[in-house]
Amino acid sequence: MVLKKASAIASNPNTAPAVRGLQEWLTLLDSQDTDERRLAARALGEYSVATPALLNALAREKSIRVKGAILVSLQCIGGHRVLEGLLPFLRSENAALRNGVIEILQGMPEEIGEYIKDLLHDHDSDVRIFAIDILQTLAHPDSPNWLIDVILHDKHINVVATAIDRLTEIGTPEMLPAISAVKARFPGEPYIEFVVNLAVKRLTEE
Amino acid sequence: MTLTNKDLDIKITNAEFERFRDFFYRKTGIRFEDSKRYFVDKRLVDRVKKTGAHSFRDYFTAMRFQASGAELQELINIMTVNETYFFREAHQFDCMVEELLDEIVTTQQKKELKIWSIPSSTGEEPYSIAIYLMERWPSIERVDIELMSSDIDSSVLEKAKAGIFNERSVQNLGPSLKKKYFTKTEHGLYQATDDLRSCVHFSKVNLNEQKDMQKYRDIDLIFCRNVLIYFDDVSRRNAAEALYDALAPGGFIFLGHSESMSRISSLFKVRKFKEALAYQKPIA
Amino acid sequence: MKKILIVDDATTVRMYHRQLMESIGYQVEEAGNGLEALERINQESFDLLLVDINMPKMDGYTFIEEVRKTPDVRATPAIMISTEETEQDQDKAYAAGANFYLVKPVRIEALQTYAELLTGGVQ
Repeated sequence: MVLKKASAIASNPNTAPAVRGLQEWLTLLDSQDTDERRLAARALGEYSVATPALLNALAREKSIRVKGAILVSLQCIGGHRVLEGLLPFLRSENAALRNGVIEILQGMPEEIGEYIKDLLHDHDSDVRIFAIDILQTLAHPDSPNWLIDVILHDKHINVVATAIDRLTEIGTPEMLPAISAVKARFPGEPYIEFVVNLAVKRLTEE
Repeated sequence: MTLTNKDLDIKITNAEFERFRDFFYRKTGIRFEDSKRYFVDKRLVDRVKKTGAHSFRDYFTAMRFQASGAELQELINIMTVNETYFFREAHQFDCMVEELLDEIVTTQQKKELKIWSIPSSTGEEPYSIAIYLMERWPSIERVDIELMSSDIDSSVLEKAKAGIFNERSVQNLGPSLKKKYFTKTEHGLYQATDDLRSCVHFSKVNLNEQKDMQKYRDIDLIFCRNVLIYFDDVSRRNAAEALYDALAPGGFIFLGHSESMSRISSLFKVRKFKEALAYQKPIA
Repeated sequence: MKKILIVDDATTVRMYHRQLMESIGYQVEEAGNGLEALERINQESFDLLLVDINMPKMDGYTFIEEVRKTPDVRATPAIMISTEETEQDQDKAYAAGANFYLVKPVRIEALQTYAELLTGGVQ
């Protein structure tokens, strides 16, 4: 047999990485080298005090890979400071970054409740759609009611359609009148017709 | 006398099934075909009863709004019953010896390769890899392979090291392979030979512990099958980053059949080989 | 029959676009984000891609850029369909390599015209 024997490779000191501390990682977050920045971003996920540094790095970082590592580290740290730091990125011009941030926010049901209402009433229809995207997988008991409020009052067709899309999954039969009423708000609009019919079909059969 | 929910006849309507299927797909990437309906219903009804809910609707609502996600995790566990055995999902082993390792050796001029099987579970996977390499990969004569395998569970690791398996576990192995790599114990079990056992280096590793993972670098091929599916979203993404760190540039990962890196991370490139899909860490 | 891949994270949007395209006579497959779509197009060929912008794991711009860089599939035509209405969004879509840009909700007439233009008809 030519497979290396286990004992021969039991420990290889050359592969053990250098142990670094918080300060060194913070410095490396500004490195010219993409791999070094990414490693620093990964390591800093274990330090909640690194939250502001990671958020700053996220704003200026160009590499998708490093951005991804920063987001995962912020997700590991979690909490209000991370949440508040991430919200402004929903307005980013960078689609990959906005969507990465939405994914992180989806995983913070306990913290985001108090912010979601403002987002659902944002002047920018895209931010309102992102807020609904955040609710998509958010395990928050008020989600259905927030969505009903959207379909009753929001004037933007794509915002309303996105909300109905979510209600198709998390709505209840009691919400049928509100959902059906949306058709009258957007008369002759086949897309609304389609999503309302679909939601009604799903929720009626329950 | 009060009626407990054990006496209720819990039914799942077509619409409920559709909603559950969409929800489960979004959360896990696992999509149930219509043909799986009976299997899914049976397990769902079982959970409805065990949790004390009075209808599927109540149960489903409670599960979706449970912030901890514990019930969803429980469902994932019972919907993806995993049994490990030799040569499981063998198309990936075929891919390894027919295409993937040769590509690494040729394009990267390597004389030594590292392969890591995590989680090892009770050892069926890493030993399957060892047998495949020795039986089916001619280049083993000139390329050294370091075969490592890890698990978070130390009791499982002990079993893997002991390498004792039942008939069912080795049923995919032909008589000659059984004879060559195992000795039959007096209780009718199969114990891996010392030679086979010495091919694999076992260690305890938590995929989500940076301290553990930092010891693993420059790996050429990782088998990480049917474990990420059991992680929550944060751990899953963190594990994907850690696996990326562990790989050598140009290295590959195999995931389980119901898992897709496309639902976890964009760090890897999908590579389609004849027998299987693999995820590759970009070379540059 | 010509085959179309719909790439969108919203189930109802995929279903709506599927219904439109099937009514015109196309065969339809779906993917829930850009990465899943990349996986799909590496396994089978498509005559047209209908692509949303905002999706998890990989957004629509990045997806189309990747397609344009990938041998064998780089020439696959793509229509970007999004809720974003500004001219900058359109510019970004064309810069990424989209052939047309439509704002949601799409009109079936517009979709049919562009799809047939890019695929050379249904058959």
